[in-house]
Amino acid sequence: MSEELDITGGVTRMESAFGSGDGDEDAQATVAQNAEIKGAIFEQTYRPWRGTLGPRWVRNYSIYRHHVYGLFSSKGHRHYPVMVRLTILGIFLFSLSPVAMLFLASMGGNGEFGEVLSRLWGINRYNLWGQVLGFFPRNMCMWPLLTALVVGGMISDDRGNGTSAIYFSRPVTRIDYAAMKFLSSAVVLGFVIVFSYILYYTSAIVFKGEGWAFLIDTFPMFLGGLLAGILLVFTYTSIGLALSSISQSRFFAGVAFLATIYGTKMVAFLIESQFDSSILYIFSPYDVLAHIGQWLLGIESNYDHSLAFSVVSLLLINGSSIALLASRVSSLEVTRE
Amino acid sequence: MSSENPAVVMESVSKWYGEVIGVNDVSLAIDGGVTGVLGPNGAGKSTMFKLLLGRLKPNQGSVRLFGTDPWESTAPFRRVGYVSETEPLYEWMTGLDFVSTMARLHGMTREEATDRAEHVLDFVGLSDVQHKEVGKYSKGMRQRVKIAHALVHDPDLIILDEPLHGCDPLARTSIMSVIRELGNRGKTVIVSSHILEEIERITEQIVILHNGRLLALGNLHAIRGLLDKHPHRILIETESPRELAEAFISREPVYGVRFPDQGFLEIQTSNLSAAHSILPQVIVESGIKVRSVENPDDNLESLLGYLVGGG
Repeated sequence: MSEELDITGGVTRMESAFGSGDGDEDAQATVAQNAEIKGAIFEQTYRPWRGTLGPRWVRNYSIYRHHVYGLFSSKGHRHYPVMVRLTILGIFLFSLSPVAMLFLASMGGNGEFGEVLSRLWGINRYNLWGQVLGFFPRNMCMWPLLTALVVGGMISDDRGNGTSAIYFSRPVTRIDYAAMKFLSSAVVLGFVIVFSYILYYTSAIVFKGEGWAFLIDTFPMFLGGLLAGILLVFTYTSIGLALSSISQSRFFAGVAFLATIYGTKMVAFLIESQFDSSILYIFSPYDVLAHIGQWLLGIESNYDHSLAFSVVSLLLINGSSIALLASRVSSLEVTRE
Repeated sequence: MSSENPAVVMESVSKWYGEVIGVNDVSLAIDGGVTGVLGPNGAGKSTMFKLLLGRLKPNQGSVRLFGTDPWESTAPFRRVGYVSETEPLYEWMTGLDFVSTMARLHGMTREEATDRAEHVLDFVGLSDVQHKEVGKYSKGMRQRVKIAHALVHDPDLIILDEPLHGCDPLARTSIMSVIRELGNRGKTVIVSSHILEEIERITEQIVILHNGRLLALGNLHAIRGLLDKHPHRILIETESPRELAEAFISREPVYGVRFPDQGFLEIQTSNLSAAHSILPQVIVESGIKVRSVENPDDNLESLLGYLVGGG
């Protein structure tokens, strides 16, 4: 260990191990240059607005379109999930299935096939009633589901998210708010339920080439069914909106609506089957409407109780639903009163 | 704005929730400029805003916005823009769609709404992200888009509830600049915040609430001047505090001195402006080097402390 280390001309252990001296003969380095310093000054100018704000109906129309256009466009309107839109489209298309059958019947001409299809799907009191008020599939699978999807979130979304404040810090009265919610819901339901009914009737005339005599014969029936459809849309909307107004979730409101429609019918059906009395059907919104619809279309009633019970029940159902809706909307955003 | 109908008038307004009092016999009038509403939690700020927006009915007294009771009529809201602290937005909309939709709720046509929405978004510095969904905005952007939707119909009265809450410094600076500009434009802006320094940077016109009562209303410095029982303090940083104290103590507006820290002299006076007027002369005559002069209690924090906490 007494030997002196020769450190000139050799390589150190570190250099041997990692080759850290390699390439030093043509070593290069790059130094980051200072980036060019840029800046921007924003001129913050506020421009007053000199226009005239529209009247009440213009504001109300904007609420209405906000809710209806949301079904077709997500751009700047109430949001409906894609699956909801597809389901509503499916229900609408299925509600038009009799139109397709009438078309097939017309293609079948006077043959047996055409006759059978015409008998099954053609215009008569029972088919007109069934197009709106038939239980299966329309009032079991289609209309309640449609109502639950459209009306469920109409007010509950605002309650859950607090977005009703957006309306009430503007010159929008609570009556306008509730009325436009009701109208937009009813228009969507009406488009599917009533419009498909009208299309069914008119397509029957067009496809079969019916004349004035047919029109005179069937038009009163058609009007009866139309009125029944409007009553159904109004009643389902008022019940749905009332449930939406007491909920903070569209799911709960939708399920509560389905439970109301199916539950009341189920209980009334069980009571009828056990005690042979149809009176409890006056608590079932669907059966009340079906009973009145049967009278409007002049077909034999399935119910033992008087029509007056169903009429009073319908008035009470709608009255109590609208009263609940009004009460809940008047307390929206008004806290700790 | 009409001088006959100020933007906001509250006359002897009281509101209680059961046995809890929200606002207690508050009378005030606000018209033009920026006014800061201050007070600790539970002071009654939110109750006051709810009364102004017609969401609560006063148990006593009357509230008027531009001469109209907001509980009875929504008409004044044509001239009111409101930014809530917690108000949610339509997350799926772009900033431009959201603000133009709000404009249409005021009765604007589609073209007017779009044009106006673009302008106010530019005013609050969001023009570059106006086509981005609101749900993807940062907290500061969300606050600014709320301000934009409140401004879209060019209101005369703008009520902002904690507009700076949760914003980063850059967003705060931007929002404060917007608020000041609106005040300069002659709008009546009422802004609440618990960040006192920021209110001080926006305005000197303040309303102080505590336990539902109106404690003070007016210019910050004027209110401070009225608080006789709390002497004003002037803090001087100097190399020779004791020698400087000797020079000051014999002068009329000064009635006490303290040495709060090494190298500091605190002068106590009941007349701040008189003390400031003799300050340069005394310092020059004494020949003592002074590093800084401050008024540690002529600010909002001290004022709020004196009024709310008793000093």
